[in-house]
Amino acid sequence: VTANNTPPRPSIFSTLRRPNVPKPNDFIALFNDCIAVASSRTQEYLLFKDPEDKFHPSTEVLTQVFLMTYISQSVNLNMTDSFNCTAMTPEQRILLGADWVWAVLEKPTKNPQIQIAVQVLHLPDMQDAEENFPSEACSDSILIAQESSNKNMYERMVDFCTSIGKDCYALFLFFGKKNDKGNIYGVLSNNFEAAIGKCNKIDRALIENFFKVFLQREKEPYKPLYCKLTCVNGKRLNV
Amino acid sequence: MDLYGKMAATQDVKGKGEGGDQNFDYMFKLLIIGNSSVGKTSFLFRYADDAFTSAFVSTVGIDFKVKTVYKNDKRIKLQIWDTAGQERYRTITTAYYRGAMGFILMYDITNEESFGAVQDWSTQIKTYSWDNAQVVLAGNKCDMEEERVVSVDSGRLLAEQLGFEFFETSAKDNVNVKQTFERLVDLICDKMSESLDTDPAVTTGAPTAKLTDSAPPLQQPGCNC
Repeated sequence: VTANNTPPRPSIFSTLRRPNVPKPNDFIALFNDCIAVASSRTQEYLLFKDPEDKFHPSTEVLTQVFLMTYISQSVNLNMTDSFNCTAMTPEQRILLGADWVWAVLEKPTKNPQIQIAVQVLHLPDMQDAEENFPSEACSDSILIAQESSNKNMYERMVDFCTSIGKDCYALFLFFGKKNDKGNIYGVLSNNFEAAIGKCNKIDRALIENFFKVFLQREKEPYKPLYCKLTCVNGKRLNV
Repeated sequence: MDLYGKMAATQDVKGKGEGGDQNFDYMFKLLIIGNSSVGKTSFLFRYADDAFTSAFVSTVGIDFKVKTVYKNDKRIKLQIWDTAGQERYRTITTAYYRGAMGFILMYDITNEESFGAVQDWSTQIKTYSWDNAQVVLAGNKCDMEEERVVSVDSGRLLAEQLGFEFFETSAKDNVNVKQTFERLVDLICDKMSESLDTDPAVTTGAPTAKLTDSAPPLQQPGCNC
């Protein structure tokens, strides 16, 4: 501890660090980077198994690890002015079906131009185990939120996106799937409501049928999501 | 039949069931509406959690909090819905107007546009809500006197013209926040009593239901709140 006000000398290693000043319109690359870091971090825990089979991290924890890593990274990369992430409150998660919402912000108003509402889906056996042993007592407001609609969580999020319009996308993010428990997959669309007309309801099976967006895989990391995000309504997001 | 008696939830049975804590006498559904960034979320945070942060986070869609208040020995559970002010969420927010018994229509005294939009918000209430919903007009951010562009008299006059009660408020300095909610609750209780006086039919029936949009419950005898 020093008594004077002399600022600390910068480390010699700081000269090796690349400046985190984004150029205009390059937030997609930064977003891609945030997704990569968040996915990698989450993957470290997806296949965790306690040798004594006593300790089971909750699905909530996995979602939080992803979101915390994403937010930290996006703040570090100074991209939140152009592409922000709003975590939902527990009540909103039930009302709207989304865990968080990403938004491309218009400058200078900061109004959302394009949004992606994200719902995380966990492996069915993990979710089933938690339903049998609820981790926390349901609060008053949570129960009220649950009773506000008779639709399932998938349908709530699709309804929410549809109510906003075609510039709001629904992203169902699978933390592992049946034959590949260690990877993260996503299905992104702004037209899930069309499925309601054809199938009457939206459920996990229906969404799994859409596995065309592949968030992260060893040989081809997160390219499809990147491609999808760069081409919305025929325009690049950063135009 | 006057719907008012039906719109308030009643609950005498203290037990388990749907809706969480069932230990209440009435449940009122309230909405806070108004232009984006007038301070709706901050206002609700101040009332429900006695907290304030100056960081602005635009509300996505809709959110709500529950707060229980006491009035004349009656427990009144308030479902307070916080709506997003941005136009893109209008479809989802107006869907929640149905069944609301009271509105806090908010503008920002430092933002002329938000005051100019009050008439439009009032029309939204008339369009999507029901005739007997009570409204309090709130001119928020009254702590920012130096940046004021809407006078107190202008606010009061508009409220009179629209038939609303009026407060100037500050979520930041905790000015008139509790009073605004309490006045709205009073107005709703008065209206309920009126309804019960004019239509005794609503006083019959088993007082076991809770407030829902789709299945209005019957009212318990007498509104003493």
